[in-house]
Amino acid sequence: MTDTFADAGRSHPKTPVDWWRWGGRVFLLLLLIFTVLPMAWMVLTSIKSQFAAMQYPPQWWPAEPTLENYYKLLDPTNSVGQEFLRYFWNSLYVSIATTILGVVIAVPAAYAFSRFRFPGRAFLFFSVLVRNMFPAVVFLMPLFLMMRWLGLVGSHGSLILTYLTFGLPLSIWLLKGFYDNIPIQLEQAARIDGATRFQAFCMIVLPLSTPGIIATSIFSFIGAWNEYVYAVTFLNNKDMLTLPVGIQRYFTEFATDWPGLMAATFLMSVPVVVLFLVLQKYFVRALTEGAVKH
Amino acid sequence: MAQVVLRDIVKTYGNVYAVSHVSLTVEDGEFVALVGPSGCGKTTTLNLIAGLIPLSGGEIMIGDREVSNLDPKDRDIAMVFQNYALYPNKTVFNNLAFPLQMRKQQREVIDRKVREAARVLDITHLLDRRPRELSGGQQQRVALGRALVRDPAVFLMDEPLSNLDAKLRVQMRSEIKRFHHNLNATVVYVTHDQLEAVTMADKMAVMHGGVLQQYDSPANVFASPVNTFVASFVGSPAMSLMPAEVAVKGTETVLQGAGGWELLLSAINARKAQNAKNGKVVLGARHSTLKLHGSPRAGAVPGRVYSVEPTGDVTFVQVSVDGEIVNVSVAPSVMIQPDETVWIEFDQDRMHLFDGATTTALKAA
Repeated sequence: MTDTFADAGRSHPKTPVDWWRWGGRVFLLLLLIFTVLPMAWMVLTSIKSQFAAMQYPPQWWPAEPTLENYYKLLDPTNSVGQEFLRYFWNSLYVSIATTILGVVIAVPAAYAFSRFRFPGRAFLFFSVLVRNMFPAVVFLMPLFLMMRWLGLVGSHGSLILTYLTFGLPLSIWLLKGFYDNIPIQLEQAARIDGATRFQAFCMIVLPLSTPGIIATSIFSFIGAWNEYVYAVTFLNNKDMLTLPVGIQRYFTEFATDWPGLMAATFLMSVPVVVLFLVLQKYFVRALTEGAVKH
Repeated sequence: MAQVVLRDIVKTYGNVYAVSHVSLTVEDGEFVALVGPSGCGKTTTLNLIAGLIPLSGGEIMIGDREVSNLDPKDRDIAMVFQNYALYPNKTVFNNLAFPLQMRKQQREVIDRKVREAARVLDITHLLDRRPRELSGGQQQRVALGRALVRDPAVFLMDEPLSNLDAKLRVQMRSEIKRFHHNLNATVVYVTHDQLEAVTMADKMAVMHGGVLQQYDSPANVFASPVNTFVASFVGSPAMSLMPAEVAVKGTETVLQGAGGWELLLSAINARKAQNAKNGKVVLGARHSTLKLHGSPRAGAVPGRVYSVEPTGDVTFVQVSVDGEIVNVSVAPSVMIQPDETVWIEFDQDRMHLFDGATTTALKAA
């Protein structure tokens, strides 16, 4: 950046201030504060004591930072910890099951949409997308009734099924773009080189679509991990709750334990952040690769 | 190596015939080019031989086996694709090894064969690279290597040179020819470039609209095209074609052009012309068989110079005769200007007559 300015300075002794550029920076800065501030406040509150958190005027910076809240949440011998860890595993179970099932269904579906010409293909592909044109809440009652009819209300299965219907359209759509960009000649070459069609798919096409599979996995994992409305509607047994519902119920049951709530929220965001950091290079590749032909 | 026999093969998509009743035999060790404009069915034919798409009718033999309903992997073929279709996530070594691995060969055997193929194609130093790190010519060699490593019965090649730049294409052309010569391989080669077909193939199969037009040696196809399509497709610049009517004047047979010119035919050409169904013919002549004159003379047809294209060795002159462009080549020393009136002299022994109604070549009998 400084180089550019220096260059500009040499050729034009008086460079006018680029107000657009500076305006843009200020805007981005404000946007950054807007997004980061609540998270910073969450982290700061989570390392305060209950007493410090309730002070007025507020303690901006914790006077006596403590990890007590985290110890409590992660201690399986303590009743709070037991609850939290149970919800954590419930969430993990539902999200991982959703993700794996999603990939298992989306990969062959997307491949079929990409490679095969069959009657009703365009209609089916469109109807896959229709689901995403409505807000999720619209389906709350119909799905609840269906789950009751299936006898799934209160089970994790009801959530996994529901989350699949949210995640699959995007997964299929994104993966189809991926398969469209993998030249069919690669599969043909593999089939001539001695592979069956299925082997050609597994050995050549599947590895090439890894970035897409990872990206769609992240999408469906995060979607399932964060979902609240369906979880709160479908689950009634306390032991079955997922994190978003569990945290909300448990920590606000009698009186709001703000530091505990914030610590729990922070811990809840850890898997998503870690997942994203570890896999982000695939994620970016997936979103850009679909767009460019190579 | 083996012979390939296509018997009356058909491929339809709905009501459209992509390949219509094609029969031909590729002899053991022969290099056959399937050639034609895009959409003529040549690639479909190749894919049918490979088994990548199912036949709608007819049968295909490779060697003494009928392979019509076999999977590609069971046909003992190798294929080189236009875009090379190298496996991008595998190294060059593993690309070459893949066909052998799929056939469950021993590790040492794979290693030996891959290195042998790499040595032949001079790509040994590239074995650890990935396809995207290679130049177009190197990718092309790897694709060839992957085909030859397995020693298949037939090599199928789908426009393998069309993604290369002009200079590299000429170089790879001779390399593929050499490759065929050294291996004595049976090759079926698809190209839209008639020059590639003429220069490389033992025989060429000219296709148009899913129909095999002519199957013969390039020399024969060039010398006696069976119809106006083949005539205008093979050779560069294309054979010039002029519509004309047949008229009999006493004992002589002449062709009459729309612009009023007349051309007296030799005895054999007269017999051919008289076989035309409704008295209309198409007169065809290649640029090298024509002579240009600055003044009228017997056996010459008048026209106006449309453009002059010097190429160094030879100058191509386009002459407009009744609105049809006729290509004539002259020595570069000949000075000629657009809009000049010239007379084109035909070589009666090397001109072609086609039926004006059916476009097929007329015979003297």
